[in-house]
Amino acid sequence: MINYNQYQLPNGLTVIHHFDDSTQLCVLNMLYNVGSKHENPSKTGFAHLFEHLMFGGSVNIEDFDTELQDAGGESNAFTSNDITNYYLTLPANNIETGFWLESDRMLSLDFNQESLDIQRNVVIEEFKERYLNQPYGDVWLKILPLAYKIHPYRWPTIGKEISHIENASLDDVKDFFKNFYCPNNAVLVIAGNISFDYTKTLVTKWFEPIPSQNFVQINYSQEPIQKEARFETIHADVPANMIVKAYHMPARTDLKYYAADMLTDLLGSGRSSRFYVELVKNKNLFSELDAYITGDVDAGLLIIEGKISEGISIEDAESSIIEVISNLKKGGISEDELTKIKNKSETNILFNDISALNKAMKLAYAWVLGDVDLVNKEAELYLKVTKQEIIDAANEIIIPSNCSTLYYLSKNVK
Amino acid sequence: MLNRKEAPFATEIKEINIKEADATLFQNGINLYSINAGNEEVLKIDFVFNAGSNMQQIKGQANFAAKMLSEGTSKYSAAEIAEKLDFYGAYFQAKSGTDDATITLYCLNKHLKNCIPYIVEILTDSLFPEKDLEILKKNTIQNLVVNEERNSFLARRKFNQSVFGGNSVYGSFSSKEDIIRIERTSLINFYKNQYQKGIKYIIVSGFVTDDVIKTIANNFDNAIFSHAIENKNKYVSNELVKETIYLDRENSVQSAIRIGKKLFNRNNPDFREMQLLNLILGGYFGSRLMKNIREEKGLTYGIYSAIESYPNDACWYIDTEINNDLCEMGVEEIYKEVKLIRTVKIGDDELRTAKNYLLGSFLRSIDGPFSLADRFKILKDYNLEYSYFHEYIEIIKKSTADNLIILANKHLNEETFTKVIVGAKK
Repeated sequence: MINYNQYQLPNGLTVIHHFDDSTQLCVLNMLYNVGSKHENPSKTGFAHLFEHLMFGGSVNIEDFDTELQDAGGESNAFTSNDITNYYLTLPANNIETGFWLESDRMLSLDFNQESLDIQRNVVIEEFKERYLNQPYGDVWLKILPLAYKIHPYRWPTIGKEISHIENASLDDVKDFFKNFYCPNNAVLVIAGNISFDYTKTLVTKWFEPIPSQNFVQINYSQEPIQKEARFETIHADVPANMIVKAYHMPARTDLKYYAADMLTDLLGSGRSSRFYVELVKNKNLFSELDAYITGDVDAGLLIIEGKISEGISIEDAESSIIEVISNLKKGGISEDELTKIKNKSETNILFNDISALNKAMKLAYAWVLGDVDLVNKEAELYLKVTKQEIIDAANEIIIPSNCSTLYYLSKNVK
Repeated sequence: MLNRKEAPFATEIKEINIKEADATLFQNGINLYSINAGNEEVLKIDFVFNAGSNMQQIKGQANFAAKMLSEGTSKYSAAEIAEKLDFYGAYFQAKSGTDDATITLYCLNKHLKNCIPYIVEILTDSLFPEKDLEILKKNTIQNLVVNEERNSFLARRKFNQSVFGGNSVYGSFSSKEDIIRIERTSLINFYKNQYQKGIKYIIVSGFVTDDVIKTIANNFDNAIFSHAIENKNKYVSNELVKETIYLDRENSVQSAIRIGKKLFNRNNPDFREMQLLNLILGGYFGSRLMKNIREEKGLTYGIYSAIESYPNDACWYIDTEINNDLCEMGVEEIYKEVKLIRTVKIGDDELRTAKNYLLGSFLRSIDGPFSLADRFKILKDYNLEYSYFHEYIEIIKKSTADNLIILANKHLNEETFTKVIVGAKK
């Protein structure tokens, strides 16, 4: 159970407080409701590039990191399809430094060409390090545009191509900030060894004076239902063949989301999962085979991906996946198997709730989903899923016409 | 009027509360250490054995023995063990390191009694079936081949081989051929000698109640288990080497760089101050290497330096990945920064920030029951007491720019560095 207090400032900023006295630290988590899905299709990768610029100094503070480190703190951030999330942890008695820093960069950034030039290079090197210079690193660059034709999920957070990052201008940066980085498009979570009263005092002092903005939400179209199986084959200099199958699935806020999540647990999570037992261990057709969901806010993907054992054809490997799934559809799920995945999800939730930082992120994300109380309701929602609902999820989601298949073939394997 | 130009008052970290481990000595000589912390009813139990790669006769033996522990006993098949532990929502992990192996169970308090019997089985009666070994070998080889496509993996391997020597446990890596040669009988022997002859100690952390202690005692405080005798393997450190290694991989986009040398380990009195020096050079986001090479020149996504300490040896290195074209410039800048830290005294502001940050990150490293357990294990690994951590605060606070420049000159002389670059040669 995560207890919390929630309120909103006149400028539209939502504030959530969670008290945890088992830690000597305090966390400040600021989530802006903007991700790569809000980008212009010809300027992709921008939300993430912008995240880098948020560390380049703000209107009154030249050096964000040094000031934070001087108070014993540490910070980082991440960008996804849906959101940009900034977090910092400090010794609890120095948390005001976090308020000062985070509020100043919400007030305004120190926009300058030099900082943009450098961070553009850093992000381009990140693009290369994580997506180009790794075996199978470009899988997402290939599978997303295959699965999505309309929805902005068709490009990855890092961007569609390097040139988009190269072309980002200072005006783009300013416009982006002005529209999205305002208190009425954000949620602030304070979690840790700090009272609600003191939190309120600090929030009033540092965040209340920031004016709200005329924020314009970006409209984009939802992905139409896929009606035909899609395929792509690429050949690359990798050691083993790999297969990726991506299926559209319900959005994060759809109640059917939970059954789809449990379906992937049943198929691919842990050493007693169906994929592991049947295809990795018993038949050894794969050296590894996973099933997971992307968990996006809008309708996301259910992914099955595996590296194929030497000497096994990719077609045979693929039919073995389909066979496991059709056995599931026909043969159903036993009571024990259902209890098992429910127990697993309970463990995951409780272990995650040990850290104040994890709890803070979870609270902020639940706000994005429209219901902060989800942090306490979700355990129950998983427990309520029935065997039939999981089978239904398999029947609705894992069908050929809903699938994009990528054959990632090794040039060295015959 | 709110003054946004000036930082709010922040206090220095004066002392740190560390929740210490309680010891329970079993009749059979095994120590159970317990750390009761946190509010969630979750547990982590670490069983530590003298089963690291330092005890192996054949390359890969320790790693494979650990990975095969849960592949079946005379009572349960691998699938049954996995099924049962998964059923109770538990996670089982067996990891062999260089100097020991740790078998870890993560579970909720309410399922502990149901999970423990499987751990007892695994630790007393593992069978190492041939068929599962063959599959594990195949999959491990495929994994290795994928890793060998990563420049950063190759750079680390080359560097450790060079600095520690290929015969040292810290510089030794299994090749494809080593993996092919592993046999079931050698794993059974290793199991008999390194697992069945005794447990070094057990650490339980999380929501540790009397009931938890009792449950563990009921299963492990008996004649089936014994206390492992200290491992007396003699480690001989090789001479300092200095090499330049270039591995040409023509299709790469970036070059992986690792530069560094052998260093003293955590038992040396200078270690803690060396951590501060390393932090300033490359140990955090505000470090000189990060500021210069990422934040000022944009040459890389990340660059860092680190001390890798082991119970018998240690090394220090700088690691990064840089565009092939700019690799040479990056290396030049790295050497420039090392030279600077040896020749010019660190300024007051920079030193203060680094100290405050280091103490703050120490606080983060003891946050939560599992982190406390990890910290405690470090004390065990190096035969240290909790005073080590309390002194740490004092040492960092007292450190001066004069001391640090002496330390830098003693240990970070560029002339002594090994340099490894893996990438497309320009």
